[in-house]
Amino acid sequence: MLALSVMTSWSLAEAEINEPRAKYHYQMFCQGCHTPDGSGVNAVPPLKGMMGVFLRSQRGREFMVQVPGSATSKLKDAQLAEVLNWCIENFAGSSLINGEYRPYTADEVGRLRQSPLQEIDHTRAAVLAEIARLPETGEI
Amino acid sequence: MMSLIDKLLERRARAAAQTASRRGMLKTLGGVLVGASTVPLLPVARAEGGAARPVEEGSDTDCDYWRYCAIDGFLCSCCGGSANTCPPGTEMSPVTWIGTCHNPADGRNYVISYNDCCGKSTCGACLCQRDEGDRPPYRPDKTNDINWCLGTASAAYHCSTAVVVGVAFEE
Repeated sequence: MLALSVMTSWSLAEAEINEPRAKYHYQMFCQGCHTPDGSGVNAVPPLKGMMGVFLRSQRGREFMVQVPGSATSKLKDAQLAEVLNWCIENFAGSSLINGEYRPYTADEVGRLRQSPLQEIDHTRAAVLAEIARLPETGEI
Repeated sequence: MMSLIDKLLERRARAAAQTASRRGMLKTLGGVLVGASTVPLLPVARAEGGAARPVEEGSDTDCDYWRYCAIDGFLCSCCGGSANTCPPGTEMSPVTWIGTCHNPADGRNYVISYNDCCGKSTCGACLCQRDEGDRPPYRPDKTNDINWCLGTASAAYHCSTAVVVGVAFEE
């Protein structure tokens, strides 16, 4: 019971986001390709309505940090975690299960970005296929 | 009964006419209307404070114009468009490279999006190359050496804009 209550408060933790800083970093390091509202265009995949889908599996959660735009950006770990959380809050919309998510932390992002992806399209397709097979349970 | 009401109303109307002027009523009403129209603007104006409203100085057809600090290409301002808009017959690329420029007129740094205008052959007017903050192509999101006509129907480069999209965050 205690474990359940700890898990619940952990999963509902709110991200600490400095709005102007996060938005600035989005503009400087993401918006050029993902477009101002996160819709993406042509070969640039959308963040809008999709980030919550990726958060449904651990591999999907890792994928969003390991794509080159995230992993190899010049943002520091804490800044990258903040801008990812900002993107989720602004673009994930109804793709989040129950409107909730577990925020990225600097430690988590720092660890994951050590292994940037090489085969992005292939990995993305595999991750989404895996998520499509999941029962509608909840975010990991 | 009716005459009683008439008298009562007449007395009230005369009393009001003796103590209040028509201009006074207009003044009060005008004050209320002007006041009411400005009050809702206050929070909106504050919200807009986050948006980029640079003080503008200089000509946008000049390479030295503050927004062009990292430009490499033909100015759309000289090609039938402006620093914010594409010339007729061209399409603005939604994919772009973004940097910051210092505006000497107000001392602030702004986030500038160098959206290219695409779909016609090169404009040929006002070629500018300033490259401040430009990075080599191994940092593709921060280089102006590639054709940014991506996501448009045509990849033919015509000219470049320099759109202010935000204020730089200062730590």
